[in-house]
Amino acid sequence: MGLKKKILYVFGNEYLKNDSFAKKISKIIANKIKVVLCTAPEILLESNEKEIIILDVIKNIKKIIIITDISKIKTSKIISLHDFDLGFFLKLMKEMKINKKIKIIGIPCKGNAAKIAKEVEKCI
Amino acid sequence: MTKSITLNHITKIEGHAKLELGIDKGKVTKCELSAVEGSRYFEGLVRGRRFNEAHEITSRICGICSCAHVIAAISAVEDAMHYTPSEQTKQLRILLTLGERIRSHATHLYFLSLPDYLGYESALAMASKYRPQLQNALNLMKLGNNIIKTIGGRDLHPVSATVGGWLKIPKKQDFESIKKQLFTIKKDAIKTCKLFFSLKYPRFESKTECFSLANNNGYAVLDGKFASENASFDKSQYLEFVKEYHEPRSTANFVVKGDHRYMVGALSRLNNNYKFLSKDAKKMLKLSKLKLPSKNPYHNNMAQAIEIVHCIDNAINICENLDLRNESVENIQLRAGHGVGAIEVPRGTLWHDYTINDSGVITNANIITPTAQNLLNIQEDIKEFIARFANKNKDKIVSNVEKLIRSYDPCFSCSAHFLEVKWV
Repeated sequence: MGLKKKILYVFGNEYLKNDSFAKKISKIIANKIKVVLCTAPEILLESNEKEIIILDVIKNIKKIIIITDISKIKTSKIISLHDFDLGFFLKLMKEMKINKKIKIIGIPCKGNAAKIAKEVEKCI
Repeated sequence: MTKSITLNHITKIEGHAKLELGIDKGKVTKCELSAVEGSRYFEGLVRGRRFNEAHEITSRICGICSCAHVIAAISAVEDAMHYTPSEQTKQLRILLTLGERIRSHATHLYFLSLPDYLGYESALAMASKYRPQLQNALNLMKLGNNIIKTIGGRDLHPVSATVGGWLKIPKKQDFESIKKQLFTIKKDAIKTCKLFFSLKYPRFESKTECFSLANNNGYAVLDGKFASENASFDKSQYLEFVKEYHEPRSTANFVVKGDHRYMVGALSRLNNNYKFLSKDAKKMLKLSKLKLPSKNPYHNNMAQAIEIVHCIDNAINICENLDLRNESVENIQLRAGHGVGAIEVPRGTLWHDYTINDSGVITNANIITPTAQNLLNIQEDIKEFIARFANKNKDKIVSNVEKLIRSYDPCFSCSAHFLEVKWV
């Protein structure tokens, strides 16, 4: 499937410099793939694709990593609605047997945006 | 035997709270609930800003209730300017808050409250067995999001609502799309009612007074007097009746009416406004066998479920009857003044109060959230309810305390503020 037919779900708080890096990267590749900027994980329920591709910043990494096994995501138990985050939601989808392949492209929180954008493109 | 408990992190509520409990020979000797989140300083943040910035700044008080703060702030500013918005603007504001209430109630009921009653630690632990129920929740949350996004321009911190009108009027086809989704989702709201009516709630009566907005025109959202079964006063008089006071242990203020505690939220609204429920919501109320007025905080869950049905019907009504016109935002005549906004939001009545000078700059601000108003009531309820469990072990006591607190659906993040119980 060509990039044009795929959707990239982008997470991160646009007001936080480090957390907004995924949004910055997505802007560079927005002409090649449909980008959906997500403010809440529930938006993933609207996806019709067999594979959900997510771009998000991961703390303490220096190179791009791909996560397909969501059990590797560290989540604290849901304490309040404010903890209803991407990790919790993906695990909930799995427990509820909403069977979607998940690919999380994890990027560092800073670096050469153009270079990282090219690498992200290859991962999609 | 003396027991002391400090609950440092009360789970499955919004934000952070702490409870210090002391029990001696079966009697509660100490019960102090406090919000322990860092102070938010939002009232200070809006001082010195322009009148038309208050709603954008205060929206950031909460990601769950951002629409609520937007509309309350706008209402207060317009009140200060002696401006009355058009009927269309009022209806769009109501629709926005209905979307938020559906989303918030569904999330609280299924993800924070239901695990308590089904004996699970969290929604995640019950997800494989209760998939259809959680799917209902997700459907309702999605609908709420869609309403907010369509009407407010974004699903978080809406941008269309503003002082003097609406920046981007939705299209008729947007209303048609929302209406279609509302009709489809109604069955999930009915299922939600039936599920929450089937749960076993502890018997308890809070010695409280249930306050909400109330008027003669309907199930109040934006307009009305602040009323209970015994009292009623105009929003402009709130400072004469409602007093905030500070306890050094808490970052949220406590609020009393006179010297008495009171309760706000879905149950209070239901007690005061049940006559104005939609036809199907009235059917659900009958099915619930709830005797109103109810002062059992656990019944707040049933009230929230009934409200979801009512909100859906109310939203359908707006989509069917509002003849959308291209109204421009009005240029409001700037004037110095003082205004109060009181609106019904998911957790109860929300107050915004601004004083504005003749240059349009906010010189004073006061915001009172529903949780701040409920804080004393929750603490006093714990004191009375927990006496029943005083001879039980600590785990049993803690689990009952947490369940009681969660029934209020508190948001400590917004009141300044999760449970920390410290046994003393």
